[in-house]
Amino acid sequence: MVDPVANDASPDGAVPTLLAADLQDHLMTASNDLDRLQRLLADATSTLLQHFHGLSQQIEQLHEQLDAGVDPLAFEQALRWLSGAVVALQFQDMAAQLISHTDRRLRSCADRLARDALADDEDGTAVTLPAPLRPNPVTQDEIDAGSIELF
Amino acid sequence: MHSILAVDDSASMRQMVSFTLKNAGFTVVEAVDGQDAWEKASTRDFNLVLTDQNMPRMDGISLTKKLRENARFKTTPILILTTESSDEMKQKGRAAGATGWLVKPFDPTKLIEVIGKVIR
Repeated sequence: MVDPVANDASPDGAVPTLLAADLQDHLMTASNDLDRLQRLLADATSTLLQHFHGLSQQIEQLHEQLDAGVDPLAFEQALRWLSGAVVALQFQDMAAQLISHTDRRLRSCADRLARDALADDEDGTAVTLPAPLRPNPVTQDEIDAGSIELF
Repeated sequence: MHSILAVDDSASMRQMVSFTLKNAGFTVVEAVDGQDAWEKASTRDFNLVLTDQNMPRMDGISLTKKLRENARFKTTPILILTTESSDEMKQKGRAAGATGWLVKPFDPTKLIEVIGKVIR
């Protein structure tokens, strides 16, 4: 936590310094939590993908054994489950984009607080990360997900 | 055998795209972003390019424009597979020369279907 400073107004009198420091701290904590979430997601996805590839190889072997009595309906169902897994595994990409975008927005807010509400430190004026200019790129509604348009 | 250049900065997406395309009998070359894709396209031909939009170094629309400026890729089908679904972005893709716009997550069967419609 940031050490409490005098509960004075910021240099331009706009935001109390203590409040600004506290807000900045919360924003950075939230940002760090998102970083950890990103890593958790990546690790979980990596494990899921290993299992996915293992399973698909097993199913491929079943395909080769269809003549040996493997139930073709069961094989077809297994393929459908696999297809569903391909759709579901794409969530990591979309989730990662959402997290990254939100993280940049939080860090930008924290940097602006540091720049505008808190005094410069001995290193000079704080360098701020610009906020994302566009809305979150993962913007599709349910109705758009999976849509295909040929021009 | 048809060859597809699959472009996405997400490793998990590249794996899912490659898995789907290879199971359908395509040869797949992966690229991690638009710049990587451009460098790979400079050394060989592809029957189709399937690219994400939001990527570092070079995004999908910029890659599309660059490919269309090259005579070798003037008529190559280029599909953009992205989380973006706004009409504004779709129009930018269309204006850049994209053949189609697919919104993630893709369904493997439908992806193979649309590729079958456009690939040469």
